[in-house]
Amino acid sequence: MDQVLTFRLENELYGLEVDRIQEVLQSPPLHYIPRTPPSFLGSINVHGSPRTVLDLARFLEFAAEVRDPRIVVLTPSSSSLAFSVTQLERIVPLDPEQVFPRQEGAAAGSCIRSVLQLEEQMINLLDLDLLLQRVEEVCETGGAP
Amino acid sequence: MRLELRTKFIGGFVLVVGSIVLLDFVVQSMGIPEFWWSDAVETLAGILLGMFLGVGMSKAFTGNVRVLTEGAERISDGDLSRSIRLGHTAFPDETEDLANSFNSLVESLRKLVGRIRGSSDTVANTADGLSSTAEQMSVSSQEIAGAIEQISLGAETQAEMVERSGRAIKEMATSVDLVAAAANKLANSADETASTAQQGGDNVRQAMASMKNVLSTVEASGQKIVSYNELVQRIGTIVDVITNIAQQTNLLALNATIEAARAGEYGRGFAVVAEEIRKLADSTGESAGEITQLVEQVRDESQKVQATMADSVRLLDGGRTAIDTTGDAFERIIDMAVGTQERAGQIAEMSLHQSEQSDAVVRAIEEIAKITEDNASATEEVSAATEEQSASMEEMARSAMELTDQARQLMESVRRFKLGTDQE
Repeated sequence: MDQVLTFRLENELYGLEVDRIQEVLQSPPLHYIPRTPPSFLGSINVHGSPRTVLDLARFLEFAAEVRDPRIVVLTPSSSSLAFSVTQLERIVPLDPEQVFPRQEGAAAGSCIRSVLQLEEQMINLLDLDLLLQRVEEVCETGGAP
Repeated sequence: MRLELRTKFIGGFVLVVGSIVLLDFVVQSMGIPEFWWSDAVETLAGILLGMFLGVGMSKAFTGNVRVLTEGAERISDGDLSRSIRLGHTAFPDETEDLANSFNSLVESLRKLVGRIRGSSDTVANTADGLSSTAEQMSVSSQEIAGAIEQISLGAETQAEMVERSGRAIKEMATSVDLVAAAANKLANSADETASTAQQGGDNVRQAMASMKNVLSTVEASGQKIVSYNELVQRIGTIVDVITNIAQQTNLLALNATIEAARAGEYGRGFAVVAEEIRKLADSTGESAGEITQLVEQVRDESQKVQATMADSVRLLDGGRTAIDTTGDAFERIIDMAVGTQERAGQIAEMSLHQSEQSDAVVRAIEEIAKITEDNASATEEVSAATEEQSASMEEMARSAMELTDQARQLMESVRRFKLGTDQE
C-alpha cells in the first residue's frame, strides 16, 4: 500500500506520495538566487547537489507567513526542487477506497489531483506533475509568483 | 476881767442914771441960770448920754450875738470849716462861753461827720466789693450749678455704664466658669488621648517587629524561589535537548519510512519499526512539550510569585514607612496631648484666678454702683445747696446794693457838711 506524507499549507491539509520524496531534512542555509520569482526561496546543498527551494504555500497563493524548518526534498527523477511548507505533519497510508475526485469547481491551478478522506480529515493530494509544469511555465515567463 | 451880762446891764443902767444925776449937779454947781429949756436940755443930754452909753455898751454884745447867730446859721448850713471867733473884748461874757460851746459843738460835729464820712466810704467800698464778690459768687455758683448738672448727667451715665459693666462682668464670669469646665474636660480628654496614643505607639512597635519578621521571611522565600527558578531553568534546558533529540529522531523515522517505502516489499518491516520509532519520538516530543509547558507554567507562576513577593516587599516597605510615620504621629500626638494637658491645666488655673478676680471685680463694681448712687444723691444735694446758695448770693447782692445805696445816701447826707480840712 502506498503512503502519503501530509503537510499543511496555511490551514489546508495536503498530501504527497512518499515515492516522489527523496528525504526530509532540517533546512541548511539558503543561498539566494537572483532574478527568480518571490516564491523561490533560494538554493540548498543536498549531499553535494544543489536544489532549489520553492515556498509551496506562496506559490499556490496561500497567505501563510510561517514555514516549517524542515524541507521536503523530491526524488531527482521527479525534479530538482525541494518544498518548504507551512507545517509538516506525518506519513499516512493511502487507502484507494478513500480517494475521491477533487471537488467540482475547484480551479485547475490549485494542482489538486484528488482528495483522500482519512479519519474525518480531508487531504488534498497534490498533482505534482501539473505543479512542476506550472513551475516551469512561471520560470519561462519569469512572471509572478 | 470877766463881767456877766447882768452885771453889765446893771452897771450901764447905773452909769446912765448916775451920769444924769451927775450932770444935774454939774449944771447947778456951775451956776448956769435955769432956763425954761434947761429941763429940756437936761432931758436931751440924759437921753443922748443914755443913747451913747447904751449904744456903746450893747455894740459889743450885739456884735457877739450876730457872730454867734451867723456861726449857728453856718453850722445849720453844714459849714463846719470855721470856728466862731468873737471880737476881742476887755470884758468877756456869756457870749464867749456860748461861742466856745458852739466851737466845741462844731469840733465834735466835725469829728462825727468825718467819722461818718470815712465809715460810709468804707461801707460803700465794702458794699461795692461785697456786691462784686456776690456777683462773682453768683456766676461761680451758676458755673458750679452747670458743672453739678453735668456731673449729675455724668453720674447717671456712669451708673448705667457701671450697671452694664456689672452685667458684662457677670456674663464674663459665667463664660470663664464655662471655659474652666471646658478646660478641665479638655485636660481629661488630652490625658485619655495621651494614654491611647501611648498604647497606639506600643502597638506600632509590635507591628513594626512583626513586619520586620515578615519581611525577612519574605526575603528568604524570595531567595529560595530564585534558586528554585534556576533549577527549573536547568530542567528547561534539558527538556530542550530532549525535544531536539525527539525532533531529530522524528525526522530520522520519517526518512526511514520514506526509505522503507522506496524499498517496497523488503522495506515493510523496517517501515513498521520506523513508524514505531516515529511514534516514540512523537510521544517523547509531546511529553517534552508538556514538560516545557509545565516548566513554562512553573516559570510563569514563580515569576508571578516573585512579582507578588516584590510587591509584598514593596508593600511591606510601604507598611514599614507607614508604621514609622504612624509611630512618629503617635509620638507627636503624645507630645501634643501632653502639651494640651498642660495648657488646659494652665487655662483651668487661670480661669479659676479669673473667676475669683471677676468676682472681686463684680464686688468692686457693686461698690462703685453704690458710690455712684451716693454720688448722684450727693450731687442732687449739692445742686440743691448750690441753688440755695445762688439764691442767698442774689439776696446778698441785693442787700449789698441796698447797702451801697444807703451808704451813698449817707454820703449825700454827710456831704453838705463842710469840714474845711479835706478837699471838699
